[in-house]
Amino acid sequence: MQNLGRNLRAMLLAATAMAAPALAPAAFAAGTLTVTLVQDPGSWDPIDTFLVNWAKVGNNVFDGLVQRGPDMKLAPGLATSWEQSEDGKRIRFKLRENVKFHNGEPFDAEAVRFTFERLLGAEGAKGPQQSNYNAIDKVEVVDATTVDFLLKNPDPVLITKLAGYGGMIVPPKYIQEKGDEYFNTHPVGTGPFKVVDYQPKVSVTLEPFAEHWGGKPKLDKVVFRFIAEPSTQVAELQAGRVDIVTDPLPISAIPIVNSDPRLKVESITGPTVQALRFNTRTGITKDETVRKALIMAVDRDAIIKQMLGGQAKPIASFQSELSFGYDPALKPLPFDPAKAKQLLAQAGVKPGAAVQIDFRGSDANFREAAQAVAGYLQAVGIKSILKPYETNVILNEIIPAGKTGEMFQQGWGGWTFDYDNTAYLMYHSGEKWNPYDNIPELNALLESQRSMTDRSKREKVLQEIGRVVADKALEMPLYNLNAVYGVSKRVKNFVAPPDSRLRLTDVTVD
Amino acid sequence: MAGFLVKRILQAVFVVLVVTLLVAWAIRLSGDPAIMLTQGAGSFTEQDLQNIRKALGLDQPFTVQYLQFITGVVTGDFGKSFFGGTSVGSLIAHALPLTLLLALTSLALAVAMSIPLGIHAAVNRGKAADTGIRILSLVGLSFPNFWLAIMMVLTFSITLGWLPPSGAEEPANIVMPALTMGVILTATNVRLVRTSMLETLSAQYIMVARSKGLKERVVLYKHALRNCAIPLITYIGLQFGGLIGGIVVIERVFNWPGMGSLAFDAVAARDYPVLQGVITVLALLIVAANLLVDIVYGLVDPRIRTE
Repeated sequence: MQNLGRNLRAMLLAATAMAAPALAPAAFAAGTLTVTLVQDPGSWDPIDTFLVNWAKVGNNVFDGLVQRGPDMKLAPGLATSWEQSEDGKRIRFKLRENVKFHNGEPFDAEAVRFTFERLLGAEGAKGPQQSNYNAIDKVEVVDATTVDFLLKNPDPVLITKLAGYGGMIVPPKYIQEKGDEYFNTHPVGTGPFKVVDYQPKVSVTLEPFAEHWGGKPKLDKVVFRFIAEPSTQVAELQAGRVDIVTDPLPISAIPIVNSDPRLKVESITGPTVQALRFNTRTGITKDETVRKALIMAVDRDAIIKQMLGGQAKPIASFQSELSFGYDPALKPLPFDPAKAKQLLAQAGVKPGAAVQIDFRGSDANFREAAQAVAGYLQAVGIKSILKPYETNVILNEIIPAGKTGEMFQQGWGGWTFDYDNTAYLMYHSGEKWNPYDNIPELNALLESQRSMTDRSKREKVLQEIGRVVADKALEMPLYNLNAVYGVSKRVKNFVAPPDSRLRLTDVTVD
Repeated sequence: MAGFLVKRILQAVFVVLVVTLLVAWAIRLSGDPAIMLTQGAGSFTEQDLQNIRKALGLDQPFTVQYLQFITGVVTGDFGKSFFGGTSVGSLIAHALPLTLLLALTSLALAVAMSIPLGIHAAVNRGKAADTGIRILSLVGLSFPNFWLAIMMVLTFSITLGWLPPSGAEEPANIVMPALTMGVILTATNVRLVRTSMLETLSAQYIMVARSKGLKERVVLYKHALRNCAIPLITYIGLQFGGLIGGIVVIERVFNWPGMGSLAFDAVAARDYPVLQGVITVLALLIVAANLLVDIVYGLVDPRIRTE
C-alpha cells in the first residue's frame, strides 16, 4: 500500500495540470460565422424530420424548385418558371440549367422525379412529411429541363410547400450508391453551402459551394453548434464565441443582450400563434354570449406587455399577420370587463361559476399567460381551474377525445404561413384538433377554397373563415409570438427570417 | 473471495436488468417520439404520426420492444437513434470517454482538495482553521450545483473572459465543469476525512509513531491516512453513482457532450433507444464501480480478503 500516497500525489498533479489550461482568448477565423441550434435533428435528410432546427441548416444545403426568402415572397429556385393548368391539376416546371449537386452530380428533371417518388414512397412513409405532399399523384419527366406535377386534387399551398422541407431536391445517384443511412449524416444538395463536417450532438460545419447557381456565398465557413440550454447559448453570445442565437432567444435574455453594446436583438413576426379554444359542448362555454364575455374579460395587450416582454402581437384569428388569409380589417373583441359582466349576467351565469383551462405544462410562457387569463376571469366573477398536462397527453388523448375542460390551449406554428394549413385541421368537422364543432358553413368554406386556383378569391374565402370563427367565438384568440434572435454586431446583412429558415448566402462578418 | 465475487456479479446483473426494464417502461409513459419529430412545423396529420410509429417499431407491444432491446444489449447492439438512425453505440462511444474524463477529473480534484483540508481541520480541531473549513464545507453543501455553475460562467467567462462558457473542444473547457463538481464533492468529503482522521489520531499507534520521533507529515499521511482510507474509498466509490447523476445537470449547463447531455436530449426528444442505451451503460458503470470498491477493500484490508 506504499502506492496510495504516491498515487494521491500523482492525482493532485494531474488535477493542477488540468486546472491550468491554455487561456487563449476565443479568436475568430476570418469569415467564420457561428450559430447556435437548440437541438440536433440527427438526420439531414429533408424527408426524415419536420424540425425547425433542421430547416435552419437544411435551407442552406438544399434548394427547392421554388424559393421563399425572409420577405415571404415566392421566387424561382431550381425551377425558373412554372405554370398551372386551368383545373389546377397539372403544374409544369421549367428547370434551371447547368445546376450541380455538391458531389458534381448534375441536377435535372430526373432528380426532381426521384425526389418526389422517394418522398411519396416507402422511404417518405417513415417520416412526417408525406401527407403534406399527398396531393401529388406523380411527377413526369417531359424532357431534361421540364417536369410535370400531376395532382390528384388541386392544392393551393403546394407551390409554397415546394420551397422547403420535403420539397428540397436530393441527388439520385448519390443516394442510390451510398444508401439512405449514409445520406442522413452526409447530406448533399444543390444549396449555397455544403456540409463538410458533422459531429452528432456537437456541431455541423458548412463551407460555401463555389458553383452554386446563385453565386458563391461570402462567408468562408459556418459552424452550427448544438447547445440545448438557452442560458448557455446566451453566455456563449456574451463571451463572443457565437454570433447568432437563433429563435427563440429567451424573453428573459432580451434585456441582457440589449444592454451589451456588441450585441443586438432582432425580433420579427413569427408563425407561432396561441389561443384558448372553447369547449362548445359542455359547461358555461356552450353559450356563445358567455364565450364572447370571456373574450372581452381578458386584456391581451397587458398579457403581451407584462408576460411576454412585448414580444408578441394580439390576434383576431388563429394566424400571424404574415399568413395568407390574414384579414387586417378583422378586429378582436375589445377588452371591456364591464360589458363582459353584463353579458354574463344576461346569459344567466352566476358569479363564482367555474371554467377549467387545459394547457401544456411544459410551455412556461403559456403557463404565465394562462395564469393571467385566470386573473382576468376572476375579475368578472368567473373562477378558473388551471390544469397543466404533459404535451403528449393533451395532444393525443385529451383534445382529440373531446375530454378537455371549458377552455384548452391551441398553439400552432406552421412554416407555410397559409391559413388553410391550420384552419382546416382546427375547424373542419371530424379533424383531430376539432373535437367539438361541426359547423356546416365552415366545412363548406374550408372545402371550397382547397380547389381554388385564383389567389385573391381564395384569400377572400380564408378571410371569411376567420370571420365566421370570430363571430361564433369558437376560441379566445390570444397572441402571435415574435421570432427573436440574438445577434452579434459583427454580423452584417443578416435578415432574420420569420419562419426560422435561415439562408446565409449574403451574410458577412467583420 | 471467488464465491463472494460470483455472488456480487450475479447481483449486479440483476440490478442492471431491473434498471433497463424500469427505463424502457418509464420513457414510454413520457411521450410519443412521433410528435417530437413533427414538432414546430405544424400541419401534420394522424396518418403521419402512425406512419412514423410504424417505421420506428412503436406499434409493437411493449414486451416485444423490450425483448428486442435486451437481445440487442446482450449482443452489444444498442439499436439506432429515432432521430436520423445514428447507431446508439457510436453516440455512446463518443460521449462516454468525455463523461469519464469529467467524472474522474472532478473526483481527483475533490480528493486533492478534501484530504489536506480534512486533515488540517482534524489536526487543528476546535481552532479557527477547523471552524473555517467546516463553515466553508457547509456553504459548499448548500450550493445547488447548477447555481454554482452559472455563477462560474458569469464570473470567469463573461466578466473576466478567461474561460470558454461551454463546449469540449479545448482543454480549458473542462476547468469549470470539473471545478463545479469538485467543489461540491469536496464539501462532503472534507467532513468525512475530518471525522475519520480524528478517530484515527486518538489511536495508540499514532502516539507510538509520534513518540518514535517521526515527522508529523509522515505520521499523518503515512500512518493515519492509510488507516482511515477504508471508509474514504467506500464513500468515494459510492459517490461515483451520485456524481454521474450530478453530471447530467452540469453537462447540460456547460454543453459538455457526454452521457448526461445525451440522456437529457434523449428524454426531451423521446429518443427511446438512446436513453435506454445511455442508462444501461451508466448502470453497468455504477455497478462496476461498486464491485471495484469491494475488490479494492480486499487489497487495502487483508481481513476482508479472508472473510
